[in-house]
Amino acid sequence: MHIRTITQALAIGGLLLGATALTTPAFAQDAKTITGGFDVGPGGFPKNFNPLAATGGFTWLNTYFEPLVIYNAELNAIEGDLATDYTVSDDMLTYTFNLAEETWHDGEAFTSADVKFTLDLIRDAASGSVFTGRLGKIANVEAPDDRTVVVTLSEADGGLLSVLAQVMILPEHALASIAPESIATSTWWSTTPIGTGPFKFTKYVTDQYVELAADEDYRRGAPKVDRLINRYFENPAAAVAALRAGEIQFTYVEPEDAATFAGNEAFTVIEGDSYVVNYIGFNQKVDLWKDVRVRQAFMYAIDRAAIVESLYGGAAKLANCGYVAPHLVPEGLNDYAYDPEKAKALLDEAGWADLNGDKPITWLTYYGSPQAANVMAAVQAMLAQVGVNVVPRVVDVPTYNGTVYQENNPDWNEFPLIYAGLQNGPNPAGINVGLNKSQLPPAGANIMRIEFDDLSAAFDAAIGETDASQVDARWQDVCKVMNEELPWATMWVANRYGVASANLVDFVWTPAPAGGPFAAHPELWDIK
Amino acid sequence: MLNYIARRIGIGLLMLIALSVLVFVLLRLAPGDAIDAYINPAAPLSMDELAALRARLGLDQPLPVQYFGWLRAAISGDFGFSTQRAGVSVLPLVLERIGPTVLLMGTGMLLAIVLGIAAGIISAVRRNSVTDVALSVTSSIGISSPAFLTALLGLYFFSVQLRWAPSGGMLTPGAPFSAADLLSHLILPAFLLSIGHAALIMRYMRSSLLEVLNQDYVRTARAKGVREFWVIIKHATRNALLPVVTLIGSTIGIAVGGAIFLESVFNWPGMGLLLVNAVNTRDYPVIMCATLIVGACVIAVNLLTDITYAAVDPRIQVA
Repeated sequence: MHIRTITQALAIGGLLLGATALTTPAFAQDAKTITGGFDVGPGGFPKNFNPLAATGGFTWLNTYFEPLVIYNAELNAIEGDLATDYTVSDDMLTYTFNLAEETWHDGEAFTSADVKFTLDLIRDAASGSVFTGRLGKIANVEAPDDRTVVVTLSEADGGLLSVLAQVMILPEHALASIAPESIATSTWWSTTPIGTGPFKFTKYVTDQYVELAADEDYRRGAPKVDRLINRYFENPAAAVAALRAGEIQFTYVEPEDAATFAGNEAFTVIEGDSYVVNYIGFNQKVDLWKDVRVRQAFMYAIDRAAIVESLYGGAAKLANCGYVAPHLVPEGLNDYAYDPEKAKALLDEAGWADLNGDKPITWLTYYGSPQAANVMAAVQAMLAQVGVNVVPRVVDVPTYNGTVYQENNPDWNEFPLIYAGLQNGPNPAGINVGLNKSQLPPAGANIMRIEFDDLSAAFDAAIGETDASQVDARWQDVCKVMNEELPWATMWVANRYGVASANLVDFVWTPAPAGGPFAAHPELWDIK
Repeated sequence: MLNYIARRIGIGLLMLIALSVLVFVLLRLAPGDAIDAYINPAAPLSMDELAALRARLGLDQPLPVQYFGWLRAAISGDFGFSTQRAGVSVLPLVLERIGPTVLLMGTGMLLAIVLGIAAGIISAVRRNSVTDVALSVTSSIGISSPAFLTALLGLYFFSVQLRWAPSGGMLTPGAPFSAADLLSHLILPAFLLSIGHAALIMRYMRSSLLEVLNQDYVRTARAKGVREFWVIIKHATRNALLPVVTLIGSTIGIAVGGAIFLESVFNWPGMGLLLVNAVNTRDYPVIMCATLIVGACVIAVNLLTDITYAAVDPRIQVA
């Protein structure tokens, strides 16, 4: 009987504990709130608030800061944002921006002085901005009146607007008193930032979430929801669990998770181009890859179509150069259809048996997902069939970068071969940094030390093209040279996924490189 | 005694400095630094740009200069800024993570002790009954389930499927603080943390109690007409608890490891999650500060234990 008393006490205790779990619904919030994992995945930039140093996360930053110009949600055109419109001179050296009427979140007027301040700050290397180099062709910024900004370049730069689309305009009156060298570590970014966007920064709970409140005075109309919350997750799986549990309404998901949401009416799966081309990089400082026939053999030996079909479920486009966008790909490319016999023959011609034979070759990557492991195992097996013995080595991102970026006499055999990805759009100049000989370290990120004159000339011609009608043709030239010379063995461009709750209305998210930004119009987002 | 304490504190400080040198050197030996962690390989920066960022963080200085610069600042209480969070000071960042970890671990261990001892008593008293067999089988499963499995299964069933508890975090984002909210976030990870330990405690409690129940003094108590409930609670359990208490003491260390894993799965903002993230992003200042604080706690606890021993047991000489 007394044991029964103990059992009863335990049961009551259990019920009490269970009851606390049911208290969650008591937090039904009066304010209309959209909560998301906006910084999850490869497009995110979690816990970093300084847009001058941002290498991603623009979708989120763009809910409270705004750039001058912005990509549309389809990522195929650049339109005005803080600039209502802009004109470009025929020689592509002068850009004139007309600015919108807007106020900062603290009520001060937004003017051309703020734009000049921001661009001048970025051009000062002391600011620690990652855009300093990319805006290096800007010679001068003028603000002739409150609503006009004139940017003059030292030479034409076809990628300028694309870079400006990621430059968030900052308030001069709030930041001018901070020395440029102190700006990167200022607490302003995570405590009291003010922007011009549809939402105002209200709170950051360290490493947990950021909360924004609607800016009722926003020039395009007051937002439909009262609050936006960006929750941080250490990994995409935790975000997916929160999405399924109904705690958040949106997050990026890994391709293998995306498949599990298909057909579920409670969710909307958003699918789009990742704009990242995956490739096998040949370190040109290693003699193994000097002969183009060896590089060609890689293309013929790998059954890319089978890998895309079986491991990507068809959700990737084969890349025969650095691009897959139709307007950048010319007719008549070699499609390197799977032909292991041809691969063997090419290796024989190149004298592969003497060059390396079946000695193991390290194949370095930072891709740690199960899908990438399967892809690499498949490629390893296919290459083994033609007599090339590659050994995958998976490391984390800092280790990878620390290895391939070494400048002074690195051990090239640490990364004779890599499996990596590089942004190939929406600005096609994105891959220039990894392929042009002008981008050899330390100037750029040509980490595979590729020095192909034809390829560099093709890139230079495309970037400097001033005739808008010829721009696509110039990029097609780049594609053609890549297809012939194979600085990389190009593999595919995979799709990227987000999943949103079906309760969201007018919610726009695009799988954009570095997380955008694009015209997502957060002021129109609503929740049922 | 005072001399002894002073000497021990001095040794403790030297050990902390040695620890800081060791961690500092080991971190620098690992490939990749904070700036390497910063670059998205798909959107790379030039080495010139990276060099500028490195210079801003002082990572371009020779190692001894970096170390002594750090040490000088650390002695004055300035542990610098997190390299991954613009403008966030490291010391408050680390200190505010101690509470959540202690809360999670403490609740988990408390649950384990209560559940383990209660189940052990029931199992022993009802020896060979269906309840005993059921509890023994459950405890075997509990002991043999790795933490990552129970954590993920628990998350899936209780959070995603049943929606009884939130899937992560410590408080509902954007909601005002309330104890009920905290408890609703705490209960699932704490319960999952407790499972393995509760199972182990139950096993010990059961066998220890069975042994005690056969002792003469228990028989005597029964013969005197003491009610069975009090025989078990007052006479048997008290004595049976001794080996269990020793076990609980030794499992707290293991619980720390489990807590680190649970913090990652449940996004619990404790020291474990902070350290895992800091290591992944090579956030040197955070790693250094967190390691030193943990090290200082261990040294302080050891010192206090030794002093307490010396104070209560005159046979222990301190000089």
